[in-house]
Amino acid sequence: MTDTLPYIRPKYIGQSIQRLEDSRLLTGRGRYTADRKVPRMAHLAFVRSDQAYARICNIDTEEAKVLTGVIGVFTASDFAHIPDITAPSKMLNYHATFCPVLARDFVRYVGEPVVAILAVNRYVAEDAAALIEVDYDPRDVAVTARAASDPTAPRLHDSLESNTVCSRQFLAGDCATAIDAAAHVVSGQFSMTRKTSVSIEPRAYVAEYESDKDMLTLHSATNIPGIVRDEIGRLLGLRGNKFRVVTADVGGSFGGKGSLYPEEVIVCDLAWRLERSVKYVSDRMEDIIASSQAFGEEVEATLAFDENGHFIALKADILGDIGAYSIYPWTAALEPVQVASFMPGPYRIPHYSATVRGVCTPKPPTGPYRGVGRPMAVLALERLVDKAASTLGLSPTDIRRRNLIKADEFPHRIGSGIIWNRSGFHECLTAAEDAVALTALQAERADRTEKWVGIGFASYAELTGIGSRIAVAPGMPMNTGAETATIRIDATGAISAVFAISSHGQSLETTLAQIVAEELGVLPEDVNVIQGDTSLTPHGTGTYASRSAVIGGGVAVNATRALLVKVKRVAATLFGVKPSDIQTGNGNIFVPNTNYSIDFPEIARVVYSDMSTLPQEARVTLEVQETYDPIFGTTTSATHVAIVEIDPETLYIKLRRLFVAEDCGRLINPLVVDGQVHGGVAQGIGAALLEDLKFDDAGQPITATLADYRVPTSAEVPDLEVVHIEAELPDNPGGFRGMGEGGTIGAPAAIANAVTDALSHLGIEVNALPITPSKLHALIALRQDEIDRSNE
Amino acid sequence: MKPASFEYVRPETLNDAVRALDHDDAKIIAGGQSLVPMMNFRLVQPERLVDINRIEALTPIVQTDSGVRVGALTRHVEAECHPLLKEHFPIISEAMACVAHVAIRNRGTIAGSLCHADPSAEWPLLLIVLNGEIEILGGAGSRMVTPNEFFLAPLMTEIAETELVTGVHFPLPPFSCGMAFEEVSWRAGDFAVVAAAALVSIKRDRFAEVRLALGGVFDTPVRATALEEGLVGQSANLDEIEAVVSLAAKDLEPNDDPHASAGYRLSLVPVLARRVLARALERAAS
Ligand SMILES: Cc1cc2nc3c(=O)[nH]c(=O)nc-3n(C[C@H](O)[C@H](O)[C@H](O)COP(=O)(O)OP(=O)(O)OC[C@H]3O[C@@H](n4cnc5c(N)ncnc54)[C@H](O)[C@@H]3O)c2cc1C
Repeated sequence: MTDTLPYIRPKYIGQSIQRLEDSRLLTGRGRYTADRKVPRMAHLAFVRSDQAYARICNIDTEEAKVLTGVIGVFTASDFAHIPDITAPSKMLNYHATFCPVLARDFVRYVGEPVVAILAVNRYVAEDAAALIEVDYDPRDVAVTARAASDPTAPRLHDSLESNTVCSRQFLAGDCATAIDAAAHVVSGQFSMTRKTSVSIEPRAYVAEYESDKDMLTLHSATNIPGIVRDEIGRLLGLRGNKFRVVTADVGGSFGGKGSLYPEEVIVCDLAWRLERSVKYVSDRMEDIIASSQAFGEEVEATLAFDENGHFIALKADILGDIGAYSIYPWTAALEPVQVASFMPGPYRIPHYSATVRGVCTPKPPTGPYRGVGRPMAVLALERLVDKAASTLGLSPTDIRRRNLIKADEFPHRIGSGIIWNRSGFHECLTAAEDAVALTALQAERADRTEKWVGIGFASYAELTGIGSRIAVAPGMPMNTGAETATIRIDATGAISAVFAISSHGQSLETTLAQIVAEELGVLPEDVNVIQGDTSLTPHGTGTYASRSAVIGGGVAVNATRALLVKVKRVAATLFGVKPSDIQTGNGNIFVPNTNYSIDFPEIARVVYSDMSTLPQEARVTLEVQETYDPIFGTTTSATHVAIVEIDPETLYIKLRRLFVAEDCGRLINPLVVDGQVHGGVAQGIGAALLEDLKFDDAGQPITATLADYRVPTSAEVPDLEVVHIEAELPDNPGGFRGMGEGGTIGAPAAIANAVTDALSHLGIEVNALPITPSKLHALIALRQDEIDRSNE
Repeated sequence: MKPASFEYVRPETLNDAVRALDHDDAKIIAGGQSLVPMMNFRLVQPERLVDINRIEALTPIVQTDSGVRVGALTRHVEAECHPLLKEHFPIISEAMACVAHVAIRNRGTIAGSLCHADPSAEWPLLLIVLNGEIEILGGAGSRMVTPNEFFLAPLMTEIAETELVTGVHFPLPPFSCGMAFEEVSWRAGDFAVVAAAALVSIKRDRFAEVRLALGGVFDTPVRATALEEGLVGQSANLDEIEAVVSLAAKDLEPNDDPHASAGYRLSLVPVLARRVLARALERAAS
């Protein structure tokens, strides 16, 4: 007898396989929404408000209407049948806003759509837009969140009692007493400025009307097709049999394509009413001034700790600049509340208290943006942690090690109520410390003649793959915690896996195929991952909040396992063996060490087409549908380290190194994970050093082009170093944790700490991002003034 | 972001170009790298676009008796790599590497940049540090203009709408001379916050000629004449440079803008002045 080794099915999870979508996307064969061309397609352009807050006195459309090539000119009254967009929430102290699809009576931010023009092409539509005159009567308005939060400030919405549309308190323990009794206290004021997403593909929508079926399909560059279908359907009174949303290739979102937009509703309504297809592709300026923005928060915070550097209490006051409207579906509370939820971070802090306010300002609505609130929370906390370390003369790693939750302390509930499950908090810190060779840097840090060198750490934890028990946004009456997958083997033996997620750069076609392939025993390229089409799934929301690998990946595991049971049962009947004797791999279904072996096309033929081999009751459809809901979520953690050097004369800040040690559980595809970390970190670098949506005193955006709104280019991003830790796998199917946003969460704080470290000899702290050479110049001048005055 | 409609003509000769420009609201398009964005924003809405890209007379770079003549259509990347320019004016190559990105350098032209007259742009700065002159052709014939006459204000020059730049003359630099360029910009390829270009020549260990040009600190690029005068005749060493760098910012009153305060810009002037003068000196000496 020959020895037989146990059969091991080929592994695809964990392999850096080349992305399946690459050949299409990298050779220009991707199909984006703007690529769609259909007969009689009409093109939409908008006249947008050039006022921050004003009453609309008159709109003169006469000249535009008669321009050759113009199909129609529409104002708010033409959409009176569409309810205002409003984002409900069960959160206490939340006041919804009402956003008409076109500004009605008032405009509330520069860029708000006021008039829609439909024409035979976009050129004519813009010619017509130039002929339209809108008379405004500007109103007093408070532009900054600080000013708008004043109870006496002019209100942006007459229907609201004040500009504060949401507020909330968090309380754990007795923070005030603990702070009073503590040996040491550090505090500070921290802030970040507004950001925009800058996807390579701007927002784009094509609503196609099919007269034969009297049906409407919205092709949308969105990452929430299910939410868009449900809500536009509700607004226009169309159900799924008349209305479908499809996302083709989507060129990035980063959150900017993750909310419902008025333009999307208008495109659908016009196509449905006029019974012809309508296209709108926003240009770069529209994309910058009229897509959701984020990160505009101020935090005042205090951290109390004992002589040994153990944290005792944390107190925070958070003010969010939420813009003109509370965005659908996430609401205005999304980001500011998230800041408070994540403020306590990965540390043991017994006492916590926080107050949060979200305030309306005459600026574009804020919405999700990679990291949502956590970059601000981590900036504030990690700056305080470094301040605490320097108060006691501890190293930044020492103080973190003393306070990070230890392996045996999980699950740990932080002051905001979030529960961390086991994740490599300490392991990431140690890996980061080892990587940067601190001692070698000390000499360079000390020698300040040529360069000011600084090093900064930031540790954080985040909740990913959030299940139905926790709303992605507070009080949002929508289930974002479940995913349904249908996996089938068709009559040709091909495998398709249908999801309601919506990849817009996450490589889900590859990673989900890897999961299905490994579980089923086929090759990844044999699996056709189908997603982003609401007609193929009963329910589903999309891809956001680092959920698709955990929830989509989880349901892929469960559904494929269920399908495998069916496959094995059929094969067992065929071979006359027990189902447990059957193995699959490399596209074959077989009994090891026998010549019983068939491939997937063969089993499909036997099941679907062959009417004699199997008894009728054994000819089951090889299809399974499963739903998965992780109920809570899973904890991802990381430590980022930044090393910067500053030119003492020009104050140019060069990011020399950025190192990330992260624990995202089991890696599905390391190549993809690295790519996500790299992209996230690049956005974090932008937030730390470059990107800043500025508004002048009248609320006019003054950084509305990519010349003024500066995103990092490859020249500003160093070679990024990433180490993956798998401390202990979570118990969700597959053991995956979400990691799409982490890069943006840790990098800003690490860079702020590094720049502060580089400036330590001047006693300057960087608490507001982005920090630029010009701002540094001002900080140094201010500090010099202080010194001069105290010397007098 | 679509331009208003316009008529498009593409003359093949200089004569045809001059004739095509004799029209209400005609505008030349060269590389299109500044003009097209302005048209897309509808900041300019020319009735007629005169595309000069087919006019061969505008392309050559040739040695003349007194220096080098660079054709108006010379792309930034050609100037960056051209042997004749590298030999006589290595500073051009050094500066061109800082202009935008490769794709833009492949299209953008010397005359387009000069006529666009951005106060932070590299070409205007090079023109004044190299004592270049601009050759302009109109219905009345050809004329030569100095940078002082040419640049009036940000995005404003003295060229008439019916004229075109045909070339730029760079006189040969003095003997024993060194040049250097440096700028601070927010990102690689961005317009400079402040840019500085220096040319020094040395005779018997003294500064014989000093030229320092600054961009980004005034409506047009400027020469730091007070500094230049202070340095000429002094011993050619770093201490003498150090002694005069504060003069570089004399009489400059840059504006605040959203990205850089006037104070920050001003603080860069002596820093960049010292760096380019020191490097130019080193190169002159070797
Ligand atoms: C992203 C980006 C970054 C950039 N960064 C920089 C930078 O760092 N530094 C820098 O210097 N530039 C920069 N530029 C501008 C670039 O250098 C342009 O190429 C240059 O300013 C214009 O040259 P052009 O040939 O493209 O001119 P065009 O855009 O074709 O024309 C510009 C103007 O010059 C006029 N014109 C052109 N040729 C002639 C002629 N022969 N006679 C008379 N008038 C003429 C046109 O009518 C128009 O008014 C940047 C551009 C972009 C898009």
